Amino acid sequence: MIWLTWRQMRAQTLWTAGVLAAIGAYLLYLAAAVRESYRVNVTECTTACDEAAHLFGDEFGSGLLMLGLLLLAGPALIGAFWGAPLITRELETGTHRLVWNQSVTRTRWLAVKLVIVGGVSVLFTGTLSLLLTWAAGPYDKLVDSRFEPLTFAARDLAPFGYAILAFTLGLVIGVLVRKTLAAMALTLVAFVVFQLLMANVLRPHFTEPVTETITWADANTVGQIDAFGIGSEGAGIQEYQIQGAWVLDDLITVYKGDGTAFDESDLDTCDAQGATTPDECLRAMDATFDVTYHPADRYWTFQWIELGGALALSAVLLGVAFWRIPRGIN
Amino acid sequence: MTTPVLTTHLLTKRYGTQSALTEATLDIPAGRIVGLVGPNGAGKSTLLALAAGLVRPTSGTIEVLGRRPAADAAQLARVGFVAQDTPVYAGLSVADHLTLGEKLNPHWDKQLARQRVEQVGLDPKKKAGRLSGGQKAQLALTLAAAKRPELLVFDEPVAALDPLARRAFLQNLMEFVADMDVSVILSSHLLGDVERVCDHLVVLAESRVQVAGDIDDLTGAHHRVVGPRGTLDALPEGVDVIAADHTDRQTTLIVHNTTGRPLDLPGAETVGLEDMVLTYLHRAEGIGVPTLQETRS
Repeated sequence: MIWLTWRQMRAQTLWTAGVLAAIGAYLLYLAAAVRESYRVNVTECTTACDEAAHLFGDEFGSGLLMLGLLLLAGPALIGAFWGAPLITRELETGTHRLVWNQSVTRTRWLAVKLVIVGGVSVLFTGTLSLLLTWAAGPYDKLVDSRFEPLTFAARDLAPFGYAILAFTLGLVIGVLVRKTLAAMALTLVAFVVFQLLMANVLRPHFTEPVTETITWADANTVGQIDAFGIGSEGAGIQEYQIQGAWVLDDLITVYKGDGTAFDESDLDTCDAQGATTPDECLRAMDATFDVTYHPADRYWTFQWIELGGALALSAVLLGVAFWRIPRGIN
Repeated sequence: MTTPVLTTHLLTKRYGTQSALTEATLDIPAGRIVGLVGPNGAGKSTLLALAAGLVRPTSGTIEVLGRRPAADAAQLARVGFVAQDTPVYAGLSVADHLTLGEKLNPHWDKQLARQRVEQVGLDPKKKAGRLSGGQKAQLALTLAAAKRPELLVFDEPVAALDPLARRAFLQNLMEFVADMDVSVILSSHLLGDVERVCDHLVVLAESRVQVAGDIDDLTGAHHRVVGPRGTLDALPEGVDVIAADHTDRQTTLIVHNTTGRPLDLPGAETVGLEDMVLTYLHRAEGIGVPTLQETRS
């Protein structure tokens, strides 16, 4: 059975391995470039270091983002091109009636296919993930936004879970839909929906987020304000960043010391009192705001939960496959 | 080989509301070459798929060689099954298929496999997807036979072949089966395919078993009886009427004598196998019976 499984997947595996080897070689090259640039711009920096660090970030940011996207797409493609056809192709061509009548039970047949093809999927994706995590190491350390959805899902453990989930998802959709092409398309859609759901709906609730009240005077020591705007609607901080943490609020309302929201009219009051800049005004009014976030030290907890969730879902799907297939499909 | 090869009791398979096989009760002894005959859609493939364990019954029981079909690897090793359209892996070569058989079957007969491939002229290096229909059938048959099963099951093995190739394939099949100690079940929608090679017959129509038994017994127990009208109204117990035709003056019956004793009726003559099968098929479809008149004139 091992021989047959390998014989059937040989061509596609070698082909994929070739592509991965090319990506791997590029990652090695990239890792060296990242390290060299980090040394010049950060470690051995003597003048205008902030600028140099920015330069370093800009140099590799988009490239690493693209690689992360590739790593996200990888499991989806594995699910569609390896998972979905694995059983469905046999059902379509009728070869299941040949192989199910050899002296191998369907359960064993399925188990061997799953372990080998699924194992290779995880191995490929996992290797790529670890390689990218390593190559991007200095960048991630400097930028320190590991909770960024595209970064989080393309580093460390998460891709392992995605690989096995996408593969089993494809397999089960294939068995239920019984049409290879339709199953491939459905798998892609289902997996993308899963990732969006995970990043936007589920992941923020893995643990109870921390809510902290920050005074305006401390705003840029605790974290960093990306943008701040005041209009007739009120005053708000957009994109408040805390080093390494995951801030959940998009728009944060700023309150005065008396607990009411800060707005445009308060600026006029300040003007009258002689505090000219908004910053001075906000300080004078004892402005505060609430930030809801996941602290940086939760990163590994989240990675494990992400992996565990994907594995649990895969286990359910495998249960469906092992329940459905030995019972006869016709 | 005293265990019956196939025993079913009220075996039923439904797909949704569609009945593919209805309350089939069969008991086929070992060592026979069984022909399973019936029109397309009669339930032949369903019965064979049930016997191979590819599908599970909706109700009723089925045992192959005394055990549940495809119960485990050991049971799978005892039954060789060649599915309709003789599926093979298009991307694998003939030699790959033999390796597949060798790796997946504990009693694989390497020599037999090699001999057969040579004998039917299959190029081991050729991809199975590029073989002709007959060659694919030969390859599938080789795979099933070389696993050295106790029972070989063929679902319409010759349906895809032209008439000349059908005959050659069946002849080759029988010569080769004769050398092996094996029971065979073979289905076809054409009686002509199976009557030459089989010694046991199962007639399926409209998802039901119409009649089953050794061919010699069946032909010996089916009679055409002709008598003046009214004289054949009461028949001895155990003599079943399969078809009846009345004219003003006389009655023609086709009867099945299940008593086991010679039929003691004046004017009774045996019917041929083909007429017998046709009578059952027509009865199943609920239409008139041309065979009653045909052979008499």
